[in-house]
Amino acid sequence: MTTAPLVARLTPRLGRFCYLALNVAVVVFLLAPIAIVFVFALNPTPYIQFPPVGVSLRWFEKFFASRDFMNALWLSLEVAAMTTIAATLFGASAALALARGGLPGSRVITAIMLSPLMLPAILTGLALFQSYVLLDVGRPLWGLVLGHTLVSIPYVVRTTLAVLQNFDTRLEEAACNLGAGPLRTYFEVTLPLTKPGVMAGAVFAFIVSFDQFPVSLFLVSPGRETLPITLFNYLKFDLDGTIGAASVVSILLAVLVVFGLDRTVGLRSYAKL
Amino acid sequence: MNAVRTGITPIAWLIAPSALLFTLFFFLPMGLMAVISLLTGNPVVQPNVDFTTKYYRRILDDTYYFEVIWTTIRIGLLTTLSALLIGYPLAHWMARIRGRTAYAMLMMAVLTPMLTGIVVRTFAWMALLSDKGAINQALIGLGLISKPLPLMYNEFSIVLGLTHIYVPYMVLTLVGVIGRIDERLEHAAQNLGASPLRAFLEVTLPLSLPGILAGSLLVFALAISAYVTPILMGGFQIMTLPMLIYQQISSSFNVGFAAALGMVLLTISLVLVIAYNRILGLVSGQRDLQ
Repeated sequence: MTTAPLVARLTPRLGRFCYLALNVAVVVFLLAPIAIVFVFALNPTPYIQFPPVGVSLRWFEKFFASRDFMNALWLSLEVAAMTTIAATLFGASAALALARGGLPGSRVITAIMLSPLMLPAILTGLALFQSYVLLDVGRPLWGLVLGHTLVSIPYVVRTTLAVLQNFDTRLEEAACNLGAGPLRTYFEVTLPLTKPGVMAGAVFAFIVSFDQFPVSLFLVSPGRETLPITLFNYLKFDLDGTIGAASVVSILLAVLVVFGLDRTVGLRSYAKL
Repeated sequence: MNAVRTGITPIAWLIAPSALLFTLFFFLPMGLMAVISLLTGNPVVQPNVDFTTKYYRRILDDTYYFEVIWTTIRIGLLTTLSALLIGYPLAHWMARIRGRTAYAMLMMAVLTPMLTGIVVRTFAWMALLSDKGAINQALIGLGLISKPLPLMYNEFSIVLGLTHIYVPYMVLTLVGVIGRIDERLEHAAQNLGASPLRAFLEVTLPLSLPGILAGSLLVFALAISAYVTPILMGGFQIMTLPMLIYQQISSSFNVGFAAALGMVLLTISLVLVIAYNRILGLVSGQRDLQ
């Protein structure tokens, strides 16, 4: 590019400075709360205190020693794992059908597949809960996984569709011309090329499920709650560092996941919503 | 040539599992919710159940419920607006930045809070804004104020918390759209004498309208269904629709009334989605919804 950067023409310095200052402020706004969580997680006092008086790992000990928190953490990981598998299978196959199946009305179907994202998630939970009540099945674990799967599918559909629409269809045509049938073309050309989108979608599905609150609200059974629900119930009455420790653990988990995602499939093209 | 792309191929069958899943566990439950909102009780366990409009009449007759609905919409709108104002510049920067490392750093900055979870981030804002929180203690420590500012337990703190939680969704939606706008269009406008600001306002901004709409819709939908942040940041003082719905289930097990309130929330969202599709159709002509 030969032309100067965006704002650097008429009011060069000032415009550029404002633009950068604004953006840095936004990044600070995004990250400052996360940073403060670390401060409180490491601060030894049993209440929120600023400036911090020292560094201690007692809240991490309390978190990892708490049976409630640990049970919730494992349940969340379990549900997220099952959700990831289900949402990836359903979402990726639906995306393939939508992009390459020649379905009539595929735009409408796409909109429907994405609708759990656009409708309040709390309604998905409420509607499922009321159905379970009506059918008198209680609050089964599969019911919770099902709710999570519904709200995770849109992410998989979107990332997979994005890849399918971007890659060169001539590769498929070449396979066809070389004598491969449609099915063989899909399994040997389309599917491998779609993998990054599916993987990105799977990671999103895992995180959406792991952090899911509104859907779980109605679907968890008392005494067997996911981590976000347990944290929320704890937070209603206590504001000590245990929440900070739990937060740090989940933040580190998230950073790890993003880092892994960037390393394996790259973020630029697939982290679309 | 186009054998892969024309007509229905066997691949179309792959839609079947999802179609079944959505029919049985999404549309059927939503339909059931609509029915339950019109019934006097549970037809499976109770023998003489009748149709009734009492739940809707209750909503219509009491101005309290109007206030709750309006509060929910107002918080949704304020959150959407602030997420757009904060998110747009960042999305623009990310879409135009050159270096891959710089881009990855910004993406991390956006994704890290997004992946941190609603409860954790609400806790973070409580730790920042409460009377003993970082902001108040820092200001008192510096001698700027003598008693803590009332930063929490009001609508401001709810909107602030929700904005922080949903800005990443806005940014991610916008980055994709702005990134697809050819930068040379802006340069052309500048070569023709427009200031950078004017070039942005008259070229890039209108072209990014579909992204603005999509992001706004997403943030609004998420904000009006939020539960954690309004409850904790509002200190149980400000009632929103999701809080009311959950209260009806958990404390009075009034499934019918909760269903009627759910239908109100559903209607608000559907009206928005339909309006969005209409407006998008108008601004982008034949452009793909994707």
